[in-house]
Amino acid sequence: MKKYSQKPGEISEFSDLPFWKKADGVDLAYVGYGLLIVTLVVASYLLGMFKLLPHDPEEISLELLMAPAGTPGYLLGTDFMGRDILTRLILGIQAYFLPGLLAIAIALLFGTLLGVLAGYRGGWVDTAITYFTNLVDSFPRMVLILLVVAAFKPDIYYIMLVVGITNVPVVASLIKGKIQFLRQKSFIEAAIALGLPTKTIIWKHILWHNCKALLIIQATIGMGEAILMETSLSYLGFGVQEPTPSWGNMVQAGSNYFMQGKFWPSTAPALAILFTILGFHLLGDGLNNILEGKRNK
Amino acid sequence: MKKIWIALLMCTILFAMTVASQAARKGDARQHGGTLSYGEYGRPATLDPITSNEMISLRLTELIFNGLVGINEKQEIVPELAERWEISKDGRTYTFYLRKDVTWHPREGEAVQKFNADDVIFTYRIMKHPKTITPLKVRYEFIETAEKLDDSTVRFTLKRPILNALAKFSFKIIPQHGPRNPDFLTREDPFVQHPIGTGPYMLQSITADREIVLVANENYFKGRPHIDRFVSKPFADQNIMTQALVYNAIDMIVLVNPRDIPEIQGNKNFILQPYNALSYSFFGYNMRDPLLADKRVRKAFTCAVNRQEMLDSFFNGQGTIISGPFAPGSWAYNLDVQPIPYDPQQAIKLLTEAGFTRGADGIMQKGGKRLSLSLKVPIEKESEAVKRVVLAFKNYLKNIGVEIKVEFKEWQAWKEDVFLEHDFDIIYASWVFDDSADISSLFHSAEIGPWKNNFGGYSNPEIDSLIVESKLTLDHEKRRTINRKLHALLAEETPYTFLWTLTNYTAYQKKVRRVAIHPYKFFSFADDWFIAEKEQK
Amino acid sequence: MKLASYRPIALVLARELLITGLLLFGVSLVVFTILYLAPGDPFSLLLEGQMPTEEARAGIREAMGVPKAWYAQYLSWLGHMLRGDFGTSVRTGLPVLAETLRVGFNTLVLTLGSMLVTLLIAVPIALYAAVRGTNWLSWPLTMLAYLVSALPVFWLGYIVLYVFMHKFGLFPLAFGFASSQKLSWLYFLLPVLVLGVGSGTISEVVRYLREEMGRVMEEDYIRTARAKGASVWRHAFKEGFLIPVTEIIAAKIPFILGGAVIVEQVFNWPGMGRMAWQAAQDRDFPVIMGIAILAAVFVRCGTLLQRVVYVAVNPRASKE
Repeated sequence: MKKYSQKPGEISEFSDLPFWKKADGVDLAYVGYGLLIVTLVVASYLLGMFKLLPHDPEEISLELLMAPAGTPGYLLGTDFMGRDILTRLILGIQAYFLPGLLAIAIALLFGTLLGVLAGYRGGWVDTAITYFTNLVDSFPRMVLILLVVAAFKPDIYYIMLVVGITNVPVVASLIKGKIQFLRQKSFIEAAIALGLPTKTIIWKHILWHNCKALLIIQATIGMGEAILMETSLSYLGFGVQEPTPSWGNMVQAGSNYFMQGKFWPSTAPALAILFTILGFHLLGDGLNNILEGKRNK
Repeated sequence: MKKIWIALLMCTILFAMTVASQAARKGDARQHGGTLSYGEYGRPATLDPITSNEMISLRLTELIFNGLVGINEKQEIVPELAERWEISKDGRTYTFYLRKDVTWHPREGEAVQKFNADDVIFTYRIMKHPKTITPLKVRYEFIETAEKLDDSTVRFTLKRPILNALAKFSFKIIPQHGPRNPDFLTREDPFVQHPIGTGPYMLQSITADREIVLVANENYFKGRPHIDRFVSKPFADQNIMTQALVYNAIDMIVLVNPRDIPEIQGNKNFILQPYNALSYSFFGYNMRDPLLADKRVRKAFTCAVNRQEMLDSFFNGQGTIISGPFAPGSWAYNLDVQPIPYDPQQAIKLLTEAGFTRGADGIMQKGGKRLSLSLKVPIEKESEAVKRVVLAFKNYLKNIGVEIKVEFKEWQAWKEDVFLEHDFDIIYASWVFDDSADISSLFHSAEIGPWKNNFGGYSNPEIDSLIVESKLTLDHEKRRTINRKLHALLAEETPYTFLWTLTNYTAYQKKVRRVAIHPYKFFSFADDWFIAEKEQK
Repeated sequence: MKLASYRPIALVLARELLITGLLLFGVSLVVFTILYLAPGDPFSLLLEGQMPTEEARAGIREAMGVPKAWYAQYLSWLGHMLRGDFGTSVRTGLPVLAETLRVGFNTLVLTLGSMLVTLLIAVPIALYAAVRGTNWLSWPLTMLAYLVSALPVFWLGYIVLYVFMHKFGLFPLAFGFASSQKLSWLYFLLPVLVLGVGSGTISEVVRYLREEMGRVMEEDYIRTARAKGASVWRHAFKEGFLIPVTEIIAAKIPFILGGAVIVEQVFNWPGMGRMAWQAAQDRDFPVIMGIAILAAVFVRCGTLLQRVVYVAVNPRASKE
């Protein structure tokens, strides 16, 4: 049983002010920045989809290897194959888009399911689920991914499957903690006494009113983790494979020239990763504070 | 008077000591001492010459062990553990007369043992034992029997006379008292991690991370080597290994990554020494695919690839384009055959001849089948040389209307796909040859099958008969003619797109002197290297 | 502490040890299943260059004592493991247990060291932010914590190495490289620092501690203490600091171990992570098993610590 999970929030069911009136300026700025990043991500996705790119991402020019930023026609320079870095940066996020969503979906869906089961049903179900979550927690994620990648193949979907599964315990224990907290406050007992059907209690009163902030945060964290994990795996040679661009394999390829003083080819994608993950973090923080009404006290 | 006596006695003792140490010393004036630590990318598995199967171990065994014969810097066969030999008229029996002054490296709690004929027979027996897992077994199947005539004489009988058999007796001899198990050698045997040999260096220690320290063998039969210690440092990142050299954490890198050559070249403290490894890179085709079974298609691919441009852009031009299947630099290589020139027009023409037409999507097709092929490549962590060649290949072929789908696979999985499942269209790989110019396992049709080297399933009766003929010929000149014919034929047949042989570079600190390198065993002449006294630190 | 107060801790210890045993069993089963389902043959590496027939391969398996059926394979492995025999590496032939323990110690040092670094950075920021709220100091610090958590750790390692070499002209590598130079312990700290900063956990630690402390600060007993003029810190220490810190340590050990795989390669740290990578490449079945088990033991130790602290602070919890 994890005390780590018992994060109480206000039971904000009865407030009728719209959230933006309650919100703090800082939080709105966070969310604004986060949404900007999300917009950029979606925009680059669309750009890639409709092929509105400065260059073909796989167009090779052997006479222009490792061109510096600002080279005519190549705003951000070229990589080790003379390919346009800007184009590949725009497309690089696509590598995470669907796989990342898959990881998040797995973590949230199964995490919620297990969390509700464990928290609401208790008893042996709880024990079994606790065993499962502890089991998953016992694996360092990287070791598990290495194992899967080596055993099967270096496929981003396999990797994200593992990332998703290893995040299930986190979500499950958070949800379970929340339910236990609500029980402590006799919230659920009151709802049952009112004669509400179990389905309504779980969906509306537990998940919707009390867990949405938590789930949003987990989703934003999950996306950041997906990107960083792929980057680390790229270093080990198991990330997204060429010629498909990903920020991770761009940082890796660029870093081969880092020690020779050519910083830019790895710095550009690294900065993209930095600001994107920051965006996700702040989005989560801001939304959490706003939805849970943290700051206005 | 007494004093003089003592002084005289001292002199005698001193003299005796000098003589003694002189005996074990090489006949040159180079200084002893110093430590040479060299970086290896990766970690050796086993350190004995029988079970090891990778280059890092091979290099180490070169320092620890000796063969019956060795080679010198001019690639000539010279005596090593055998001081002389006799070959019978029919070329089937080889009699080796062994040195009598060779001792095995001492092991704690054991008396020093002398090397003798039993050790040679023992090594051969271990190698042949079915439970010993070793890549050597196949190489030495030509030996029929090995027998001990007396303590310092052994005789090998061959199944059939073969050319250059003497060179093959360079396999390393291990001591009879070495392994714990007297019948066969497995990786569980402590000997494979703590081997003792007769070579110039003795294993001193090996850490969990497989940093290996070797120390000079004072009693080495060719004279004590000059450098006191060799330290092999394992690295997991090539960029970091190069930096370790540049910032003096190590003294030598065995094989410099091509992208780091300019950086080291510009540094006055280091020497970049080229050595010609007997290896080449190629794109290999799966002839089981009906599209690739057509010679014209394979030749078209070769025409479409600008090899010189790749070599210049990716490897600073450090290499040579090759035209055929033999290791360049070997006697079998036919210099008269020119590499197929870069000519995309010719490539398109060849494809048209083969019945292909451009489809609506710009991809060539024939009978409704698009010319879209998978190219499988093993993942090499942070090595972009492979990525570059493969991506450029994809690009060149796109220009003539061929679609290549590059698939990077983890090393073991790749090998299974290529050698076991034969599930690929094209691969990118390299062969490394030993000193025999034997290509029979690559192109002979008997070598088609699981885990055999003719992975592409290439089968051509003419080639088969030439390979057999070359194998059976004992006359060097005749054999050379046959191999030249083979070369020309295979260049025309293009079962591979032969790419290039790269010049390998080792880089080391200037303080290491008189460095001579064997093309792939590397440390064969390391007992002659030295570090000047004032630079020994 | 009175003797009686040790009882709950002992109880918890016993219970957690039992759970750990069960979990290790589960871990081994999962690893085994994945390896069993994997296409290919773990012995192919060994047999490379021998080009043997299928029969020869089967013969080798027999010679090496590998049973055919999967459950027989698993059970024989489990039986050996219970007797302390983890088998030998397919690649090197070395005993797995001894080798993983040797390098595991290095990884432990790296992991604990960087955990400490993470806490040293994250705790002050979280404390300050929790007590003072968002202000001109806590905000930039929090942002900084978020930023460094989003750095790819190997890239951070490259930056640090580059700076060290080009600024100081030194090549900092642990174990043997720097031993002759002065300040060698400093070089030893570099990978620890890089992993501590770059493992991606700082932001989460800051976030979690801030929330927890913020919550505890709002609790009635703290308000009372504050009103009475007593030390808030002393009252809030246990629940607002000790418990969340141990919780976050327990929860983040797996992540830091994962980061260690990368940092060990960059800094040539002779640890378990490198071994894991190598073993994964070679499909070195026994080594992968050994590492997974040992890593799980590390993780469970963290959890054990957390439980013990939790119960020591709050003895009633042992009945949970």
